[in-house]
Amino acid sequence: MFYRLSGVHHADYVSDTRIFKLPADRNLAAFIFLFGLVAPFIIPSLYLNSYILPWLIWTAAALGLNLVTGWAGQLHLGYAAVMAVGAYSAIHAARFGIPWEFALIIGGLSSSVIGSLFAFAALRVKGLYLALTTLAMQFVMDWVLTHSPAITGGSHASLQSPTLALLGQDITSDAGYYYVAFGWCVLVTIFMLNLKRTGLGRALVAVREKDFAAAILGVNSFYYKILAFATSSFIAGVSGALLIATFFFLAAPEQFSVNVSIQVLAMVIVGGLGSVIGSYFGVALILLVPGLVNGLVVAGSAGLGTQINVETLAHIPNAVYGALIVVVLLIEPLGLGKLYGNIRDYLMVWPFDQLRK
Amino acid sequence: MEIKQHIKAVALTAALATGATIASAQDKEPIRFGLCFDLSKSYTFISPQVAQAAQDLAMYTNDNGGIEGHPVEVIVRDHGNEPQRGVECYEQLKRDGVFIFNFLSTPVTNAVMPRAMKDENLLMQSFVGRGDAVDGEVFEWVFPVGPTYWQQAANDVAFIKEQLDGDLSNAKVGFIYLDYPFGQEPIEILKTLSEKEGFELELYPVPLPGSDQSGAWSKIRRDKPDYVISWLLAGGHVVASKEMRRNRFPIDRYLTSNWLNEVDIANIGAEEATGILRGTNVAGGQEVPIVKTMLETYYADGKGSGPESLVRDVYYNIGMAIYSAGFEAARMAIKENGWPLTPETMKTAYEALSGYDANGLMAPLSVTPEDHGGGGKTRIEQWDGEKWVPLTDWSAEYLDVVWEVIKESSEKFTVE
Repeated sequence: MFYRLSGVHHADYVSDTRIFKLPADRNLAAFIFLFGLVAPFIIPSLYLNSYILPWLIWTAAALGLNLVTGWAGQLHLGYAAVMAVGAYSAIHAARFGIPWEFALIIGGLSSSVIGSLFAFAALRVKGLYLALTTLAMQFVMDWVLTHSPAITGGSHASLQSPTLALLGQDITSDAGYYYVAFGWCVLVTIFMLNLKRTGLGRALVAVREKDFAAAILGVNSFYYKILAFATSSFIAGVSGALLIATFFFLAAPEQFSVNVSIQVLAMVIVGGLGSVIGSYFGVALILLVPGLVNGLVVAGSAGLGTQINVETLAHIPNAVYGALIVVVLLIEPLGLGKLYGNIRDYLMVWPFDQLRK
Repeated sequence: MEIKQHIKAVALTAALATGATIASAQDKEPIRFGLCFDLSKSYTFISPQVAQAAQDLAMYTNDNGGIEGHPVEVIVRDHGNEPQRGVECYEQLKRDGVFIFNFLSTPVTNAVMPRAMKDENLLMQSFVGRGDAVDGEVFEWVFPVGPTYWQQAANDVAFIKEQLDGDLSNAKVGFIYLDYPFGQEPIEILKTLSEKEGFELELYPVPLPGSDQSGAWSKIRRDKPDYVISWLLAGGHVVASKEMRRNRFPIDRYLTSNWLNEVDIANIGAEEATGILRGTNVAGGQEVPIVKTMLETYYADGKGSGPESLVRDVYYNIGMAIYSAGFEAARMAIKENGWPLTPETMKTAYEALSGYDANGLMAPLSVTPEDHGGGGKTRIEQWDGEKWVPLTDWSAEYLDVVWEVIKESSEKFTVE
């Protein structure tokens, strides 16, 4: 009913390889895009600034990780380290006086170089061994950051980022930051949506399913793995730089530590490997739900007028949040993206599929 | 004499706070303090005590007529040591009318600082965040009241110098620290002082979380330093005490930063810990007037803001110290400039705190527009098996050297 199929025929390859095969999906995407455009005028600045903005940036980052983990099937536990490379190089470039447009690209490229250099070494091994090697990369980066004041900026290692300016325009308003994040997230999303329609995307999937089978088919699996690492590292680098430039305004090693790496991986897994919309949901669950649940529990306890110890109050949301992740993965191991897909598929021909039963 | 002074001061504070406004205190607009703390992850060894101290102090103030008639509201939230949630908490409370914040976590304070400085909201960041934030000329809205780690280390060196009869030229000082920014912070100042005073400095880095120190201590056994300054946390002290015993290093030559509390002493063993040294800016124990008042007024009837065990912890006194200074600044601000209390008047009042010691609770604070730390005075105390015995008076040494480091670091902070 909602996803009307009648009148939708794909008579040629071009139409069959469209991003949105159903008008309903396309309309929904267009609606969300338009909503995103007018969001600063509708949504109160608190939510825009401290929920939606980080959500968009982390979604872009999670999509990058999804490229390497979901599409190419390579477990990556050092993603935050790659983001750190991008963030620090972009900020240093900007502090040096390079315009932000180039600084962001420099950030992305340096992440790309470091990320794929590491992949060169790491890809000699597979599976869990690769995961451990990428974890090693994270630890190396943590160590480098905490031991080089020249990079991390002196006392207690925090480096302030210069004011973001794009196309000659200083960006200082909440709406400005939001549009930058929104623009970047849309770009990455479009790239990822298109990826599965390209030869590159198909090659990555072939490598993921069985890399030596892909090799027999003439897909150079090593080349594509490196390519996946390089592309995802580029996305990570720019996302890391934007995270600092539009949200934290100051880079510190803890923002890119090992638990952040694991968090991004959790976003991708809870959202659904290889799912674009899943990444959005996954980030929302991992990033925003702890804060929201915390707010709800605090409001609830205040509303009931109960005197709960502050420490207990802080631990209840953690328990709720943990339970939520377990429940989601129990209901649908393929993640929130698949959960959405199930609902969509169910509604596809509803209520007519009920007639046969 | 001293007791008499205390009584007088208590009476004075009570009189000032009470005024003639007890009845109307609850009707007036409250003064809100935002406490976005890490109550569930890494800082749980200190945050509950500080939060409880703030709540108790607010309760006591409100029961005695509030601050110049205005009640104090302490809003406690958890951010789980995640910068993103800290920002969220800041943005939320900012809109609820809070302009005095405390995050009690280095990563979160760092993440929020640029926002707070841009919005011109006050950031209380005692003991966390950048050390150079005491430079009030650069970090105008940040009040890290208390000693920086640099100043603590400098005071420690001064103490060692005094113990070695004023001559450090033949001395050897060891520095054992957690190998990440918290522990690395004092290194620079120690190096400068070692050049200045001519003592030999040996560094012993220990990986996080400080449970493996065997390598460091066997090196200390070989090097035989006169004193070991320690920048370890919680369990790290317990491991260090075991290693000291094994390597026959006298525990009365082990000088810690302010992060050593009753829990750590209990874990080491009260008897075993006899002789351990600690540099601190607050008086520990329950004999301090304000802590005693809290125990008598609330905890005796079970009306405290949390378990009594947390009150018997030096970190509770640290919390009291942080918030006494904050409340005092609010009081002075309203007294000088009347209601409404604004970030500007609060800032001016903070910067006018002079010789304030919250009735013997802490080292006298003299905050100025240049020095937001309040002078950085500490004293060295020794554990005698049952309680802490102060060995020195409140003092801050090598101020020129410390401020050189502060200025050098803070000037690199600002960017356009």
